[in-house]
Amino acid sequence: MSDYSVVGKKLPRVDAVEKVTGAAQYGADVHPAGMLYGKIVRSKHAHAKILSIDTSEAEKLPGVRAIVTQDDVPSGRRVFATDKVLYLGEPLAAVAATDADVAEEAAELIKIEYEVLPVVQDVMESIKSSAPRLHGDETKDGPNRRDISAKIKELSSDQEDDNSDEIRKLKAELEKYSDEVYYNISAETHNEAGDVEKGFAESDVIVEDTYVIPRVHQTYMEPHVSVASADSSGKITVWASTQGPFAIRSGIAGTLGIPLTQINVIGTTMGGGFGGRFGVIITHVPAVLLSQKSGRPVRVQMTREEEFLDGRPAPGCVIKIKTGATNDGHILARQALAFWDSGSVSGASIGSTIRVRGVYKIPNIKIDAYGVHTNKSGTAAYRAPGAPQAIFAGESQLDDIAEQIGMDPVKFRLMNMREEGDSVPAGGSEPKVGYKETLEAVADAAGWWDRESDDNQGWGVAVGDWTNGCGPGGVYVSVHEDGSARIFHGSMDITGTDTAITQIIAEILTVPYENVTIRRGDTDSAPYSTGSGGSVVTFTMGNTAKLAAEDARRRILELAAERLNTNEDNLELKDGAVHIVTADPPKSISLGELAAYSLSTTGGPIVGKGAFARQPSTPALAAQIAKVEVDPDTGRTRVLKLVASQDVGFAINPMAVEGQIEGGVVQGYAWAMMEEMQYGDNGNINPGFVDYRVPTSADLPTVESVIVEVPAPNGPYGAKGVGEPPITPTLATMANAVKDAVGIRVTELPIKPEKVVEALKNNGHGA
Amino acid sequence: MKSFEFFEPTTLAEASNLFAQEHAQLLAGGTDLVIGMKAYTETPETVISLQKIPGLDGITTDNDKSISIGAMTKVRQVELSEDIQQYHTALAEGASEIGSIQIRNLATIGGNIAHASPAADTVAGLLVADAQVDIASADGERSVPINELFTGPGQTVLKPGEIITQFRLPNPVSGSHYIKHKIREVMDLAFIGVASAVNVQNGVIKEARIGLAAVAPTPIRATEAENLLSGKIPTPELLAQAGEAAAAATSPISDLRCSAEHRKEMVDVLTRRTLQNALDRV
Repeated sequence: MSDYSVVGKKLPRVDAVEKVTGAAQYGADVHPAGMLYGKIVRSKHAHAKILSIDTSEAEKLPGVRAIVTQDDVPSGRRVFATDKVLYLGEPLAAVAATDADVAEEAAELIKIEYEVLPVVQDVMESIKSSAPRLHGDETKDGPNRRDISAKIKELSSDQEDDNSDEIRKLKAELEKYSDEVYYNISAETHNEAGDVEKGFAESDVIVEDTYVIPRVHQTYMEPHVSVASADSSGKITVWASTQGPFAIRSGIAGTLGIPLTQINVIGTTMGGGFGGRFGVIITHVPAVLLSQKSGRPVRVQMTREEEFLDGRPAPGCVIKIKTGATNDGHILARQALAFWDSGSVSGASIGSTIRVRGVYKIPNIKIDAYGVHTNKSGTAAYRAPGAPQAIFAGESQLDDIAEQIGMDPVKFRLMNMREEGDSVPAGGSEPKVGYKETLEAVADAAGWWDRESDDNQGWGVAVGDWTNGCGPGGVYVSVHEDGSARIFHGSMDITGTDTAITQIIAEILTVPYENVTIRRGDTDSAPYSTGSGGSVVTFTMGNTAKLAAEDARRRILELAAERLNTNEDNLELKDGAVHIVTADPPKSISLGELAAYSLSTTGGPIVGKGAFARQPSTPALAAQIAKVEVDPDTGRTRVLKLVASQDVGFAINPMAVEGQIEGGVVQGYAWAMMEEMQYGDNGNINPGFVDYRVPTSADLPTVESVIVEVPAPNGPYGAKGVGEPPITPTLATMANAVKDAVGIRVTELPIKPEKVVEALKNNGHGA
Repeated sequence: MKSFEFFEPTTLAEASNLFAQEHAQLLAGGTDLVIGMKAYTETPETVISLQKIPGLDGITTDNDKSISIGAMTKVRQVELSEDIQQYHTALAEGASEIGSIQIRNLATIGGNIAHASPAADTVAGLLVADAQVDIASADGERSVPINELFTGPGQTVLKPGEIITQFRLPNPVSGSHYIKHKIREVMDLAFIGVASAVNVQNGVIKEARIGLAAVAPTPIRATEAENLLSGKIPTPELLAQAGEAAAAATSPISDLRCSAEHRKEMVDVLTRRTLQNALDRV
């Protein structure tokens, strides 16, 4: 680290001043002349047939300029419901009016006739034959039926006689699993390695539980907002609060049949995203439709209530999980069956069920996961999508195994962790990752080895793994006559990524950090950039920025060789100037002088270009320890200590990395202790911050962050994505600490006071 | 929000006359009303600000240590008043539980009470202080004890045009304590709220008052539990009996926050706990 002068330093963020002074332009700050206010008309029922939509009264209201419904969507892609609504708050139409109150009133005047249908909001109810069907009667087999059917198929192809005894026996067995015919399934995924039956047979200890994790919202501070403006030529401009302007551009183009380059998306400063800000139809498409119809710019901005009804939160899920281990602490088998609440559409991170494997050498594993339709909005990514849920189940159960065999939970995990070169069940071999280093670092920092607890106090540990994504990006960097450098790119800043890009370019060009500025272009001007999610930005754009800076440096050295009349091999770029290494007395030329000189050369100005799309990334580990105190009479839990370590590869800006760790830990804590979208008979019943609780700074002690650096081979300076890992273990960390404190195993989050009191009354069962 | 007419009268009589009209609402701190108006759950046609009427705010302590709190007194002032902290600790503690500091700098104690939420954080403290509520209208003045003010959720005995002007806390108590059962440390609504106040003489409980919030359609006093305590020497067994009696006096609902059973159980736990702490503070 000491070899670098800009990367690896705790430098202030490039956007600090504009954020602190309020100069940053968020979506709601955009106000083009003549702008109208859009409002989405939403279903008042969680499941109902639409008999009619009557907009005539609303059209007569003075100030109303446009009303759109699904009839206005040329591709036919579902933007507004037509025949049936599938969740409370589902969009049915949208209006644009000269002020927000008129739009609100007009929305109320649109008359919708419903025929109310039975509602299903619980995944375990939705899979049953008795449940109302959301999309049709198609069924899927559960794991046992799948296995038996596979055997029958195998035998039938081997033998001509389809009615052999064996097959008859299997068919009878199939009947036994008639409750494994699942309805309302939106997706499924299955993974298997080794032989779990054999693994369980060889185990001394087997633990089996069902974990229930609630649906939670990303609760970014800025609700969804877009301002769209269609001009007379048909050109569309959209100011979008989004993590991925280029994805929004193609999404709008596809949904509305507009040529891609007739759409310009301008990403506004994001008030938080966490994976939930990629949606195209939530506000962007309605805003464009309203602007096309009215001929005026239109803003569609969600209220917080609308966010809860029609955002795309993280899926809840039910995970049945079983683990077997030997008395000396070797995990032999793990099996999981998960039902993910995907809401009205498919999706829901079901692939993340594999995370129950963790970073352990588990020879036998079997995972079956299903996405299940319910009368709720669809879901989207939320910070390491699916991992916190799966890891909560996996890491909670590991503690129970450790307890049963009498092993320290940290030692038990260390003993089972994969090492470099171990085979990975999905294929290939384990790269060098600081699994053990990270767990040991958190244990040491938290004082785990000589931990002490008073009455009703306890310690919990858990680890979570995640691998950053990777995607395409492009960066230009120019060096100016005053020696400063300017970066131009198109990726959205996500809590410090612009800063990381700037540090990397300053490092390579040896320009002082404060003399490097960064500008973001819109989709009309900037090179393509992947969305800012999946912990991709520093990995992708960092590599891209490095290539751009190296390209600029090549031109700088070329110019310097020409100007100083020497060979490039004799030159060194250092401290903002090019020096002749061998010159005595020293001879050099500044970057500013070179930039000025470049303007009259054949090769022209100093412009570096970097483009990058894909390199394998390396897993990262987050390990956390909490100390809590539980009040057994009221069930309230107080966190006394929270320590989080993470293998970040290399911290390009350690201050920003600590910020990411703290943010992830706090969100994980909130999911464990208080956050939960609640559903009554007719949809979400806590659509606001009064009854959907997010923590305040008074709820947590200062999170102690411990940075571990085991470089990733393909990351810029060895960096890995840092945004997502820190949320992954916190749910289990908290539950394990509560278990240690008062002996109750909470299998259903959040760990609310009432649940704790109940469980204590039942001697630890039924939490 | 819906459009409305806005008035800033400078006298109580003027305000009372305006407030006697239909669909009129008083604006004190605005921390409940404005949110409701933005959400269209409140759609008044007339909004009457009390902010320009002199003499409605401030805390005064008389020689006999009786205290008057103007209805327009900011909740933050109630929280920080040394006299209230000393003589009616439970009320100061209740005030400190409302919203954030920013909210408490706007919200008024009169608004917190007139809104008549069964979960209001200052109400249990006022109940155990045995507060008198002074009310004025264009027709004259009257006073009701705080435990007779509420008739249901959001409902009071206030008639059209009547405005709460002040709360009078007659005598200091020797010790009191308020606990709010909640999930979040700050800025949470009360799952339940319990205040206990005791006057002790020669080791004997001369008088005990227990105020309960969010456990019935209105805030209530747990009079049976209070009677159990009066004239007795406090023991853990006695406090346990009082806790049970207080729980028995409640009729809570189950809602998305917690079950009725949990609310009852917490009344028991927190009555014991607030009584013990009130006794420790004597």
